Amino acid sequence: MMKKRWALLVTGMILLVAACDKPVRERSAGPPAPPLDMEPLKKALSYARGETQEEQGWPRTIDYTYRTYDFRTDTFREEKRAFEIERRPVRMVPHAVGVAEILWAICPRERLIAFNDLSADPEFCVLAEEIQKRDRIFRTKQTELIIAYEPDLVFTVFYSGEEFKEKLVQAKIPYFDLGHFGTIESIRSQTLLLGRVIGEEGNARALVASMDEKIKELKAKIPEDRSGVRALYYDEGGYVPGRSSNFNSICEIVGARNVGAEQGIKSWSQIDYETLLKWDPEIILVPKGSGLKEQVEANPMLAHAAAVKAGKVFSVPGIYLRVTSQYMILSANYLAAIFYEEGI
Amino acid sequence: MKGPSSLVGRKETALFGILLFLVLLGGFLAVSYGSWLIEKQDVLQILLAKWGLYDGPMDKVESTIVWDGRMPRLLAAFLVGFSLAAAGAVMQGVFKNPMASPGVIGISSGAALGAVIALYLGLAAKSLFVLPLSAILFSLVTLAMVFIIATSRGQTSISTLLLAGIALNLIFGAMTSFVITLSTREFDVGRVIVTWLMGDLNNRSWEHVQIVLPTTVLGLTATLFFVKDLNILMTGEETATNLGVNIRLARNMLLLASSVTTGGAIAVSGVIGFVGLLAPHMVRGLIGPDNRKLIPLAGLLGAVFVIYADLFVRLVVQVDLKIGILTSLMGGPFFLYLIIRYRNRFEYL
Repeated sequence: MMKKRWALLVTGMILLVAACDKPVRERSAGPPAPPLDMEPLKKALSYARGETQEEQGWPRTIDYTYRTYDFRTDTFREEKRAFEIERRPVRMVPHAVGVAEILWAICPRERLIAFNDLSADPEFCVLAEEIQKRDRIFRTKQTELIIAYEPDLVFTVFYSGEEFKEKLVQAKIPYFDLGHFGTIESIRSQTLLLGRVIGEEGNARALVASMDEKIKELKAKIPEDRSGVRALYYDEGGYVPGRSSNFNSICEIVGARNVGAEQGIKSWSQIDYETLLKWDPEIILVPKGSGLKEQVEANPMLAHAAAVKAGKVFSVPGIYLRVTSQYMILSANYLAAIFYEEGI
Repeated sequence: MKGPSSLVGRKETALFGILLFLVLLGGFLAVSYGSWLIEKQDVLQILLAKWGLYDGPMDKVESTIVWDGRMPRLLAAFLVGFSLAAAGAVMQGVFKNPMASPGVIGISSGAALGAVIALYLGLAAKSLFVLPLSAILFSLVTLAMVFIIATSRGQTSISTLLLAGIALNLIFGAMTSFVITLSTREFDVGRVIVTWLMGDLNNRSWEHVQIVLPTTVLGLTATLFFVKDLNILMTGEETATNLGVNIRLARNMLLLASSVTTGGAIAVSGVIGFVGLLAPHMVRGLIGPDNRKLIPLAGLLGAVFVIYADLFVRLVVQVDLKIGILTSLMGGPFFLYLIIRYRNRFEYL
């Protein structure tokens, strides 16, 4: 009897933890309307076709600069690399969400044979709905499954892991290692590079042109007298993004000032409510579903903060701050609605 | 053992004075310094006004920073440090083992698992109280589990308690790691969990004080009620039985009390290592093993550790160093020093 009770208790606890595969997240009211319609903007950034294709024959050698961000020293490391590829890749696998999103826009989709699970998750990928319809979705660590798909090119990123790359080498599957994706400039250059690697240079240029055009349109909608609004993103645990964050790039696109960067934060740093009050941003953004909006608004110390007094504490879906692709413009559009609510 | 008349000697008075001075000094520094510059005179006026001793003009923003920001963080640090060290002293006494600490029977691991689950499920976002209450609940469940495992025919074996604690520490540690692995997918949730597991007093408010104060008071009151029995228990169970001590009741109540204080502390601060092990050790070395003096003085030393560690990570270091890392970094080498210094006194196996 006693043993049974214990077995039940232990099993119950294991099941409780195992059942936690998807965190419970609250939903809140809709945001203000963005300057550009989100759906047409998403569409424009999801499909780009240019006139000139394949400027170089096959096999080709791609000379490029591999650029990574070293968060420990807050510097970029650059390395000249050359990548040789026999023929036009037609069975490609992107190992990261950002790469999948760019390839989706510049490459005939039948050439993308599989996606990782994060690309099929709406919390992480703008294209999740479309990607969920594809039958080949792998977990990031399922190397064997990726090999079994027999891709002719895998796109890896800095966090893909050396073991994963080594397995690909052993299976004689070529991979192309991509560097930093955190800023709109790096996304531009990575898009052009991807175009060269897959033989879709024209499409890549078209996507970059489309990005620039949409940024221009977006900027035109922002009232000049309101630009330079001071915004701060306050993440769970009190973490604030700085100069090298996606949030900083998004702020730059819409002419807002990232208070974290202004105050000298490099990547991410933890601050307390007192510091938040001292920095006193005009707008405070918090992750949706974190409960932080309520906590910030209810805190007696922050009752003196300009953003709280003006009712400018907003919760933002995490996807808009995680995006590392052309859809950063989608994020900028979404946040512009919050930054310049009255002016647009 | 000395009688009640000689309970407080010169050594104890001096140590109490030094620790109290350090607590007050640390407390004054904690409420005086922060990212917002406030004159010390203004800080004093704010504190006096809050205690009804001053009614002059005050800056509202500065007042709320001192009273609603720095003060609850200081009190949380004090109560957490006191609880962990007092619980450590009790555990060392009950188990008659200087290596015992609040985590020895799995209470800390249980509390950590409870908190991590609350964070991962997003329940902690519902209310400030959810995470601490989940941690306390899990620490109590852990305590119940070790007792059920270690009790046979109405007798609780102390060595089985320890072994069950080791096993539960391993199981809960593995389950915590599993939840962390799941949470790495959601980078921000993973970061909050890892930060919490390293010990953190950032943004602690009066609500957190409301959580840790009752557990500290309740636990300590129960402990002090049985403190004489603890002293007798340390001389051996046979002696204790001969002197009329209800061994089972005393031991169980002491363990329950220290579990409650540990659970409350961890619930508010996250996991802070070494305070519960080191503070009782140091105080015992100075004043001896009498728990009537040891527990309150070790508690004060624990409070000093946590207050100064928090001051250090908040004001001195510019990187994201956490209290738990600091206490382990400082406590570990010091503990090694103590072991090396007193190794000749230890019994050889």
